[in-house]
Amino acid sequence: MKCYLGIDVGSISTNFVLINEAGEVVYSLYIRTEGNPIKAVQAGLTMLKQSLKEKKIEVEVAGVGATGSARYLVGAITGADLMKNEITAHARGASHFVPGLRTILEIGGQDSKIIILEDGASVDFAMNLICSAGTGAFLDAQANRLKIPIEQFGPLALKSKKPTQLGARCTVFCESDMIHKQQIGHKTEDIIAGLCHGLVRNFLSSVAKGKNIKSKIVFQGGVSENPGIKKAFEDALQEEVIIPPYNTVMGAVGSALLVRDNPPEHTRFLGFDITERDIRCTAFNCGGCPNNCEVIEARIDNKIAARWGDRCGKWSSQKPEI
Amino acid sequence: MAIKEKPVVTFARWGNYTIAFKGLFEQLGMKVILPPKTNPSIVSEGAKIAPELFCFPMKVTLGGYLAVIKQGVNTILSMQNVGGSCRQKYYGLIQEKVLKDGGYEVKFVDFRATPRDIYRMIKENSDASDKQIAAAFYVFFEKLFLIEKIEKIAQKLRPREIKKGGTEKIVREGLAAIEKTANLKDLLKAKKEILSLLNKVEIDKNKEVFKVGMMGEIYTVTDPSINFDLEAKLGLDGIEIHRQMNVSYHMKKLLFPWIDWAIQRRINHYLKSTVGGHGRDAISEMLDFVKEDFDGVIQILPFGCMPEVTVRPILEKIRQENNIPFLSLSLDEQVAEAGINTRLEAFADVVKNYHFKKQKNLKRQENLKPLNEKII
Repeated sequence: MKCYLGIDVGSISTNFVLINEAGEVVYSLYIRTEGNPIKAVQAGLTMLKQSLKEKKIEVEVAGVGATGSARYLVGAITGADLMKNEITAHARGASHFVPGLRTILEIGGQDSKIIILEDGASVDFAMNLICSAGTGAFLDAQANRLKIPIEQFGPLALKSKKPTQLGARCTVFCESDMIHKQQIGHKTEDIIAGLCHGLVRNFLSSVAKGKNIKSKIVFQGGVSENPGIKKAFEDALQEEVIIPPYNTVMGAVGSALLVRDNPPEHTRFLGFDITERDIRCTAFNCGGCPNNCEVIEARIDNKIAARWGDRCGKWSSQKPEI
Repeated sequence: MAIKEKPVVTFARWGNYTIAFKGLFEQLGMKVILPPKTNPSIVSEGAKIAPELFCFPMKVTLGGYLAVIKQGVNTILSMQNVGGSCRQKYYGLIQEKVLKDGGYEVKFVDFRATPRDIYRMIKENSDASDKQIAAAFYVFFEKLFLIEKIEKIAQKLRPREIKKGGTEKIVREGLAAIEKTANLKDLLKAKKEILSLLNKVEIDKNKEVFKVGMMGEIYTVTDPSINFDLEAKLGLDGIEIHRQMNVSYHMKKLLFPWIDWAIQRRINHYLKSTVGGHGRDAISEMLDFVKEDFDGVIQILPFGCMPEVTVRPILEKIRQENNIPFLSLSLDEQVAEAGINTRLEAFADVVKNYHFKKQKNLKRQENLKPLNEKII
């Protein structure tokens, strides 16, 4: 079976999606990056290979797309054919499942974005620039502090009848506000619901400020697993918010679809074997001019696979050894 | 009586134009040590001692001064801005104070950008005769206009060139050659060479390029080492950048104040007074870009730039009225290049989508025309 692989490596999670030529998802995987994107990619590819073996599916990878903040690294070590930014990838993925959508709200581990679409193409977008207040990482930390598993965070928030008012502009102040509200005896579920509302308020007033939010609205990214946030969005926008299938791996779906739309003649995919090879990534300062760019170098079995990060092309234009 | 020290001067870098100013002061007989090209370590050094809430260019220039003070610079030339007032006018005062507090002994020459003040400043700091000054300025303007011309040509070539990166190399080497020229004869020779090299760059004439206008605060817009080489990045992505902001635009506004009046009349519908800096210019430029049917507009501003922040909502309004893709990038020492790259890549996709959609609509209208005529 001819398949396309999409890999999305973000700050918190690493996602893999395998789609067939019809655009149906054959396999999807969501694992934590845990600060080591190379290991996460290797682990993910191993799991993908094993699962395909167990299900006895013969797969011919015809193209690989990489996205997410580590797209160049992943592209270098897996031999991706297409490296696209996560905004385009998310837009492509979501419009595949929800035709006619106009707005994508995406909240991930450390970034949040809003994308406005028209006729399936993105026309406007915004990303959080200097503050990551109210993203997945913060919810994670609060769940940890309250000793509630993150999976139960949302259902618990839905139980609340009277959400607590929390100042959620800054996570540090929000946390002290939460502690204060706990001390004066607010119920845990009210505080959690208040947190969800505060986060949504913060998103709408900073990232989504001035954007023309129209339905259909899609909510995706890791945080969309949390029904409390979904409800808070619906309350704030007074519109139905759709959570599409594969909501947590939409970036990977999108990048796989983008490769499928423009398939390469011959894929540069290095194969599943790279999981057993020694991959290292180092950085050095060029020093060739006062700009002193930090050049990143990926080596597979001690052979240079790619170099990037320089402005003038002195290093990145060199031919890789493999 | 104290022996008068020979001044070793420095001044803030300003993109590719820096070398023209360097040549000018050298020809006037001053010893010039330029701050090194802006890099992250300079920015962070400057940000360390600068007041935190001051705008970004002040931190950058301060970092540059720090780097060269160690090399023996004793005089810093600082020119106040032209156009509407903004905090740039206080850069000289504040930087002098900050440097003094940091224990650096330098003479700060803070002057206004009027011909009289500039002339006085030169007379005080160099022994050049009036004739020499005139000759130096002649070469300076030649250099400046040449650099601006190279920039304009490069903006057109980059998206169309067949061998990617070829233009960039010529520009880089050309600027280095211009920096070395000391008199008019050498300069004209270099000019001929560079322009003929640029002329020989192979281009794909039929390639469909996307036009994006760039405006905002002049320092961040014109300096590639501040805006992460945005012009070249988008250029290589098939986007032709247009920008009005450069030194000669700045100077024109100094010599002909009625340019500002004309701008004000154009933007009366959106803003009735000046907001300082190039706030009014940004609105007027965006209106130009919309009128000329561009595929996108980018506003670049340093974090904390009061005029640009003030006009941003107005630019957003123009965007909503005309549906044109718009990206506003605020730069400071906290911004990482990776984040900017993601936004630029996504913006390039939006620009392309917009361009093709526009074309599709155009075709549809053309197809409808004959049909309508038949009905009539």
